[in-house]
Amino acid sequence: MLRVEHLTKIYPNGTVALRDVSFEVPDGEFLVVIGLSGSGKSTLLRCINRLIEPTSGKIYWNDIDITSASPSEIRRIRRQIGMIFQQFNLVKRSSVLTNVLSGRLGYANPWLSLLGVWPVEDRQKALRALERVGIADKAYQRADTLSGGQQQRVGIARALMQDPRLLLADEPVASLDPVLAHSILQYLEQLNKEGVTVICSLHFLDLVHRYATRVIGLKDGVKVFEGLPDEIDRTRFKEIYGEEAQEVRAASL
Amino acid sequence: MKNTEHLIRLRRIFTQVVEAIVIGLALYASIQVTQPDFVKLITAAPKARQVLRELLAPDLFTRESEVVTVGVALPVPCGSAPEDEGRASGPRLEVEPKCAAERETVVVRGEELGKGVQVTLRWRLPDGNTLGIQRLVTDAEGNFEVRVQVRPIVATKGGQSARIEAEVTLPGGRITPSQTLRDVTDAMFVTIFMALLATTLGTLLAIPLSFLAASNITRRGRVGALVYYLVRTLLNLIRSYEPLVMATIFALIVGFGSPFAGILALVIVTTASLGKMFSESIESIDPGPIEAITATGANRVQVILYGVVPQILPDFLSFTIYHWDINVRISTIIGFVGGGGIGDYLSKRINAFEYSKAGTALLAIILVVWALDFLSAQIRKKLI
Amino acid sequence: MNKAERQPAKIFALLSLILPGLGQALQRDWKRGFSIFLAIATAMATVVWYGKSGWYIAIILLWLWNVWDALNMPRGAPVAIAVLLWLGMAYGIGWQVTQVNPMALFTNTERAQSILRPMLQPDFFTARKEKHEGWVEIQVPCSATPPKAEKTVGDIHIRVQPDCGNLNETLIVTADGLWPNEPTEITWMTPIGDVKLLGPGNNQMLVVETDDEGHLSAVIQVPGSALAAAPDPTLPLPHRVYLTQTRPIGGMTLSTNGQYVVRGIYETLALALLSTLLGAILAIPLGFLAARNLMSGHPILMGIYVIVRTILNIVRSIESLILAIIFVIIVGLGPFPGMLALAIHTTAALGKLYSEVIEAIDPGPIEAIRATGANNLQVIRYAVIPQIIPPFTALTIYRWDINVRSSTIIGFVGGGGIGFFLYQWILIGDFRAVSASFIAIAAVVMILDFFSAKLRERLV
Repeated sequence: MLRVEHLTKIYPNGTVALRDVSFEVPDGEFLVVIGLSGSGKSTLLRCINRLIEPTSGKIYWNDIDITSASPSEIRRIRRQIGMIFQQFNLVKRSSVLTNVLSGRLGYANPWLSLLGVWPVEDRQKALRALERVGIADKAYQRADTLSGGQQQRVGIARALMQDPRLLLADEPVASLDPVLAHSILQYLEQLNKEGVTVICSLHFLDLVHRYATRVIGLKDGVKVFEGLPDEIDRTRFKEIYGEEAQEVRAASL
Repeated sequence: MKNTEHLIRLRRIFTQVVEAIVIGLALYASIQVTQPDFVKLITAAPKARQVLRELLAPDLFTRESEVVTVGVALPVPCGSAPEDEGRASGPRLEVEPKCAAERETVVVRGEELGKGVQVTLRWRLPDGNTLGIQRLVTDAEGNFEVRVQVRPIVATKGGQSARIEAEVTLPGGRITPSQTLRDVTDAMFVTIFMALLATTLGTLLAIPLSFLAASNITRRGRVGALVYYLVRTLLNLIRSYEPLVMATIFALIVGFGSPFAGILALVIVTTASLGKMFSESIESIDPGPIEAITATGANRVQVILYGVVPQILPDFLSFTIYHWDINVRISTIIGFVGGGGIGDYLSKRINAFEYSKAGTALLAIILVVWALDFLSAQIRKKLI
Repeated sequence: MNKAERQPAKIFALLSLILPGLGQALQRDWKRGFSIFLAIATAMATVVWYGKSGWYIAIILLWLWNVWDALNMPRGAPVAIAVLLWLGMAYGIGWQVTQVNPMALFTNTERAQSILRPMLQPDFFTARKEKHEGWVEIQVPCSATPPKAEKTVGDIHIRVQPDCGNLNETLIVTADGLWPNEPTEITWMTPIGDVKLLGPGNNQMLVVETDDEGHLSAVIQVPGSALAAAPDPTLPLPHRVYLTQTRPIGGMTLSTNGQYVVRGIYETLALALLSTLLGAILAIPLGFLAARNLMSGHPILMGIYVIVRTILNIVRSIESLILAIIFVIIVGLGPFPGMLALAIHTTAALGKLYSEVIEAIDPGPIEAIRATGANNLQVIRYAVIPQIIPPFTALTIYRWDINVRSSTIIGFVGGGGIGFFLYQWILIGDFRAVSASFIAIAAVVMILDFFSAKLRERLV
């Protein structure tokens, strides 16, 4: 259970990214956050694992206060929260396997990991994770030799290594073409069915309808919608995306 | 699956070990040959400090000053020569008593010499030689008083008595650029001109060569290929020499220390280096416009003029300015081996242990290189 | 253009007439104005400095151009004219100041030939030779009881008669056991190791051929300069007479100068390798300190950044040769000062390049690794280092390449390597050796160029 209370984030340059956002995510949900770019979706996701420090407000995960956790506590919390990114954020010059193994850093012996020494179980686990996303044969290639869709699968495998109980996905398919988008989201859906809570920000409404169990809409950092995917009608849509977005909707519906 | 993983890891470990051994051996051999003696850096610290202190105190300005010498005759023994009348005012020296015998002590007084200035007091012997007495500083009224022992050597010879002289350096107040600064400026101008002339001539020579060394222009047919490889090899060969090596040879031919030798060396190096850069720029041009212009029925010269030149001009200008920058740097040292310019001045001053003059030249080099670096970066930014 | 618009243009032109560039600057094109002012100021400074009054005409023309330009603002007058005027002035004065004298190339053809002709026969290899040598001691000047001047070295037996000699006295040398029918060089060596020639005028080698039995006899004179450096010319001391035979035994070997070339190249490579390594190690911390993205957090960090950057820039603008001179003064001649100079220049150059790599790292992976719960060290190990190691290595190899070139000349000022020998040879005029070192330099530089390009290709 994730509980966000009155979350506000103001950047040093004065930009208000989030203003008093509150919501709850019960375990096992596939929550999708929608909104225009710049509406605060990325900031919201990064506040949850404190890659970005919130200005005020509280986030509780299973009644642990994430916002006031000490550096070592937050690392223990982070290792249970997987994250995948729009730009995949792989270390391009490292091998696929090393990228996947790095998902295990929160569990690994800190000193051995600095030497690049990994236990055999972790290596096997990494190969299994790669098998699961269907690219086990690429394990020893450099990450930048892979296509975009394959790179995002490496990103998912990296998150899998964390044995996550919560998965944050920041626009995971925005850099991919529609067919690949579905294949990636299907992996997330499958994980969700296995009991991992998923919070995912998305751009396209058709994907929202297909995968989300619940939706939150953000506009200029304010939560303007919370409900089921089917509840997004024309008026709701305008509230979230603004007047000009009419035609985008026509295209995406 | 596991097998491949093991193999790959083993191979990586093996290559890493081999690389480490090769590098280790190379380093061992290098240290054997070079014999780095870092302890020397510490033991030589006092010398380093002295050299650096002088280098960091560049000789830039001098205070214009006036050297005044006043004197008074002192016949030894008394009556051996006429005594001085003594002046009533102005900078003057008085001695009490006006004559003395050997080994007596006299009082020497300096008057109105300027406040708190350095005075060098000395004997002017009858044969014209001098004998230092002491250095002192005048008091707040511009006077001094000192006791001097009369030594046998100052005795009157041939009716000519010895004199006591005081040399005073009176600051005139005006601050003017020192001779060093003038010399350095002069040498710096020469250096910049060297770079300018060499870059221009080098560019002019590089342009035709670069077309000959561009595979997409020249490498057609057997003759073309031959020319292409010949020019390429020549350019590569020249590029492997430092300009300084060339400069030594030219210095021997046209005269040591002449900026012209430096220019010749720089021209050759610039030609080779720019020729290569230009040819690469020509090779990377877009064939589209050339095709289009050829399709209009233009001849080869017209194709180059309208299809090639507009594409390469910005690159050429940018490379030229970049190389002008390099040439300024090189021309600062080309004088070390007889190429003239600031390097010539610098090496001469260092060989003469005149480190503060060398420091002035160093300062000038840093300033000019820096300024031109900045300027050329600005211009290139504008071009791209 | 109507009159109302022309009126201010004339005023601006007038302003530009008073102070070049002022009119342009006041018409809001301050960059153009400043450039014009700078151009005319520098031109004036140059002309005044050299007192070449004829070139005032260029300045007047530039000045007029500037007025014309101000009149035609905002479009202005053609810039090319001004640029050409300025360059014309610079070339004109530069030509005179730098004593450009193309004729010198032709008037000195003889000198050029005497330099270039020997260069066609590089002194690198020499025919392999076998040496057959013997010597005998003879007392100079004579004492009352000189020892017998007879000696057997290997199979060569030599006898000199009489057993001692005074300056310019005649001696008879006889020898057996030499190679038959071979020219034999006869030389004199003083007790302090000076070799004197015994041929005509004492400045040519005395060469005598042996007979069929390997027997030789020759008449020599005690050289007049045999006692030149002796502390006491009256003290009888043993001098030596050498008989030397050499004959080719087929094949080639390194000549003496060839050996120096090899040693110089070896030293050059060692210099380049050590200085690159040392410079790279020193440059890594400096690279981090000079990276804007790391250092912009706090005023103190920003201060360190500015200071480090400035120092790197200053050091980079001093050529390593100048640094070498200073180090030679401080620690003495040899490869060590050269290595120090190259290392310092390398540190400055690589420090700047490294900092640019660090500034360009992708923050995405850092974020991703941090999100897995990694600690700071792990983030550096898994997100930062993999991103910077390959470019660092490539830049270091590139720098090594440059250092190999630089270390070929660092010896010109006493910094060791092939340059040291090369400069000596140039000064004493041994152009066959010069040519050998030229070939060696070109070969080494080109081979390393090739390898470093290949290595860098693999890394990127």
